[in-house]
Amino acid sequence: MLVTLDEAIALIKSGKFLHIAGDEALLDRLPEGNWIGGTTAFFMASGGGVFTKEKLYVDEFDFAEEMKVAAYGKYNVFQLVEDCYENGLNVIIMPYGSEVVSKYSKEAPEVEELLLHPTIGWVSGLDLNGDGEAKAYDGTTGKSYTDKAVVMFLKLPEGKAAQINLINIFEDDKADPVITFPESSLSVESCLVDGQELNFADYIDKKGIDSGMPLVADYNGVYLNISIKGIENGRVDLYAPVIKNIEYRFAARVEDYEKEFLARVNAASSVRPVLCCNCIINYLNGNLEGKKIPPFLGPVTFGEVAYQLLNQTLVYCEIV
Amino acid sequence: MEGKIRDNFIKILSGELKYTSSNLAFNMLISKLQKKIIAAPESVDSCLEEIEGFVVKYPLIAKVDFVNIAAL
Repeated sequence: MLVTLDEAIALIKSGKFLHIAGDEALLDRLPEGNWIGGTTAFFMASGGGVFTKEKLYVDEFDFAEEMKVAAYGKYNVFQLVEDCYENGLNVIIMPYGSEVVSKYSKEAPEVEELLLHPTIGWVSGLDLNGDGEAKAYDGTTGKSYTDKAVVMFLKLPEGKAAQINLINIFEDDKADPVITFPESSLSVESCLVDGQELNFADYIDKKGIDSGMPLVADYNGVYLNISIKGIENGRVDLYAPVIKNIEYRFAARVEDYEKEFLARVNAASSVRPVLCCNCIINYLNGNLEGKKIPPFLGPVTFGEVAYQLLNQTLVYCEIV
Repeated sequence: MEGKIRDNFIKILSGELKYTSSNLAFNMLISKLQKKIIAAPESVDSCLEEIEGFVVKYPLIAKVDFVNIAAL
């Protein structure tokens, strides 16, 4: 729910376990308490998609029995697998452009036991004018970070489990050639297309590929996206890294982004998310400003985490 | 894990059978283990242990998958 600064302060003072998203100027004014937060000025609110620096978005985690918070840098971010509750939910917020995002995004797919510990979250960002800094907040200490991930560990009652899922409008075109990459990287020069080594930027150019379409990888029937950030001087920069040995194809063209996104949301409208994050590209390309997409409420983000870092995806968690 | 369910999991991990769960983590795990088996075919048993570990940890979530996979 979107709340005023005073309402957020009252919620914090009540001792509730909270996840808060908002503009840096507001987050900086919150008191210490049982909360974590991240910067964004775009939200999926009950009244519709909205850009605001006047309000904060708050989720209350009243399903949890206990919580603890930790901040991690690039050298120890996967310590979260050791630190979490045996039956819990981990909510991670990482600042956009930080080395911890880079580390997490490249290595999470290979981290032992990460899939046994439900981990959801988002990459905090800026308004699109570039004002301010992307930050993650540890409300328990009152500290904010531009270079660390903040994780809230939530302990679930016995007999309950966290189930993370996603909404993605993209699928691959199986007729397209398979693209693989020699290394896990956020910036790519060479690739293998059906086994032939090529410059990835040249390949995109010569094939006339719309770089607004993400690369997608098929994870046993679930499609995960890698969005292209830019192409310059023969290099392709990405919002999430391609992973070595994963097979990618470009997404099949989506003719009407908004219609497709809303159709997928409607198809999933019976779920009961306790936390939800939606990509800024979905917000912008799906024309979500002013549009209601219940039951999916939460921050609009600069990268989404459903165990690993994703792009152009809506992620959510239910307690079952 | 034994009998038909074990046989079917081996077929899923080797790509012989296709099964997509409604659980994201389970699909990610299957995908990861499929790649592991391609790289090291002798790792089937350890992969099955990983599947079993997931199922034991999340019986509530995996119950439906077990029923579905046994019926394949």
